[in-house]
Amino acid sequence: MSNPVSDLGRQTLGFVSALGNITRFGSDVVRNLFRPPPRIARTIEAIYDLGFLSLVLIATSGFAVGAVLGLQGYTTLVRFGAEQSLGAVVGLSLIRELGPVLTGLLVTGRAGSSVAAEIGAMVATEQLDGLRMMSVNPIHFVVLPKAVAMTLVMPLLSAIFIVCAIYGGYIVGVELLGLDGGAYIASLEDSVDFREDIVGSVLKAWIFGMIIGLISTHRGYTSAPNAAGVSRATTSTVVIGSVTILFSDYFITALWGV
Amino acid sequence: MASAQAATDGDEAHVVCESIHLGFGGRDVFVDLNCEMVAGHVTVLMGTSGTGKSTLLRLIGGLQRPDAGSIRVAGSELSGLAEVGLAEVRTRLGMLFQNGALLDSMTIFDNVALPLREHTKLARDQIAAEVRDRLDAVGLEDVEHLLPGELSGGMLRRAALARAIIESPEVLLCDEPFSGLDPPNVERIEGLLTRLNRERGLTVIVTSHHMASSLRMGHRIILLKDKAAVSGTPRELAMSEDSEIHDFIGADGAAYLKTLSDAEAAS
Amino acid sequence: MQSTRRDFIVGVFVVIGLGAIAYLSLQTGGVSYTGPRGFELVATFDEIGGLTARAPVVISGVKVGQVTDIVLDEDLRARVMLDVRDDLELSIDTSASIRTSGLLGNQFIALEPGGEIDMLVNGDDLDFTESALNLEALIGAFVHGSTEDD
Repeated sequence: MSNPVSDLGRQTLGFVSALGNITRFGSDVVRNLFRPPPRIARTIEAIYDLGFLSLVLIATSGFAVGAVLGLQGYTTLVRFGAEQSLGAVVGLSLIRELGPVLTGLLVTGRAGSSVAAEIGAMVATEQLDGLRMMSVNPIHFVVLPKAVAMTLVMPLLSAIFIVCAIYGGYIVGVELLGLDGGAYIASLEDSVDFREDIVGSVLKAWIFGMIIGLISTHRGYTSAPNAAGVSRATTSTVVIGSVTILFSDYFITALWGV
Repeated sequence: MASAQAATDGDEAHVVCESIHLGFGGRDVFVDLNCEMVAGHVTVLMGTSGTGKSTLLRLIGGLQRPDAGSIRVAGSELSGLAEVGLAEVRTRLGMLFQNGALLDSMTIFDNVALPLREHTKLARDQIAAEVRDRLDAVGLEDVEHLLPGELSGGMLRRAALARAIIESPEVLLCDEPFSGLDPPNVERIEGLLTRLNRERGLTVIVTSHHMASSLRMGHRIILLKDKAAVSGTPRELAMSEDSEIHDFIGADGAAYLKTLSDAEAAS
Repeated sequence: MQSTRRDFIVGVFVVIGLGAIAYLSLQTGGVSYTGPRGFELVATFDEIGGLTARAPVVISGVKVGQVTDIVLDEDLRARVMLDVRDDLELSIDTSASIRTSGLLGNQFIALEPGGEIDMLVNGDDLDFTESALNLEALIGAFVHGSTEDD
């Protein structure tokens, strides 16, 4: 009954119009960025919810990832007698890739899903319609502070993740496996470049923050006004957000020229 | 009768819907629907569920657009308006949503004060005075610092009503204000809406399937059936010969007519 | 008030985050070497092996700068640009040699100050250089040399 060719065509058209929809939504958000009044208090509230409340998750995950990297890196490097370079291996892979990407995935799951669920629930309970009837633009009042907070918070969380992970690698490599602490730090310092690695890392996290902010608010904002809509918004934020982060990571890396 | 008196005062239509067509998911909701709501009246939109009472209210509020037809609110044609223009018209509308639609992350005070903070440059104490005035008007006290989740259904509805009237709108739209409430609370909300209509001259448009209260409070009733609207005074509808209308209004109609004739006999 | 407390917490969070970025930038990124530039020296080698830009420049094992650029000059020799801390006083007979940390480690440039009174200034060439140790050539020479001895 269903023709695979026409199915593919329909899915492609659906994908293109979804892309168009989120682009329009994004430009609407950006336009609202320049409209008064600035939503400073609401943005700070969102930074608290999305950033501060993610801190423990990010720090512990970072520590654990760093510890595993230290252990794996050590067992590999020691075969070549190059275990002195453990700091470089742990640090570079974290700063360039794992820090921003894993933080992005964790934030998508922890904060992105909660943004989508909250906005979706506001749609379902007519709170956004309520704002419209009060002549308050819901994009300006609800969406913008969350999207901006997500964009601001991601580079900070990513940097915290990386520092905790470097510390985790240090604990395993130096305290447990008996590597020289100075060598760990020195090889890290020698191999990391400010422009290519640090700026690239912050830039990546910042772009991921924009992506998560846009996708999570869009999913919530366009969700169906019922409980199923809320759950679909949450799920699709995590799925679409994670996949987009992983793919865009490749393109940012290629364009930034690392 | 006071309410009947008010009915004859204002004759100009505040809200006019003309030849509205609306389809949803391949199904027609409205086909060539015409109706109007008179300024200063309480108009009740009735109909069995699924006839589009709430949809019609959302059309009037500009939250949804019809496929064809014209809606004029206080002289402004909605169909040509972008979101900015709609925001302009909506400053003259207040809407009470079915479940209140209060922002659940903000206190009752902040919720009620929100429209004033957004649209006016009133000082802090002036806003507080306005908020207190509206909360008094709906009979709520000591709830300002509570979150919407901490209120009972009836109180929530009244808090939402306070927010709907904070900017002294001309037209108040109420979506199912009685649903899910116990009889004392129904009576209370009904009394509030009637008082707002009488004392502040609000044009009130209510959707309801609560027959007895609708007949009591409505100057006019608009009955949605067969994808269109039939309107009349409560008395006209209660005495209607149309069997469908008769069945819909049921025993409440007879009771209403009896109270009317009792009142006439007494005077 | 509730909101001032939350503002404070958010402030703490932002400070921690910016602190992490600053730590990464200053401590591990080595901004201090790419930021304020020292003075430039040029060393020419016959063979640089695996030396790359950003390789450290050390004196007595202490890092004092890094390699900024490597080009091929008209004699087909490698010209290596070094960026060195400008508070150092290096005599004009300072020599540069390419060394390897460990057997397979990264390559770096070691400077060895000489005894002359005149000092190097910005843009000077180093006259004495020692090329990278080429393991294969060394092994080849060893094998070749040992057969010649027989």
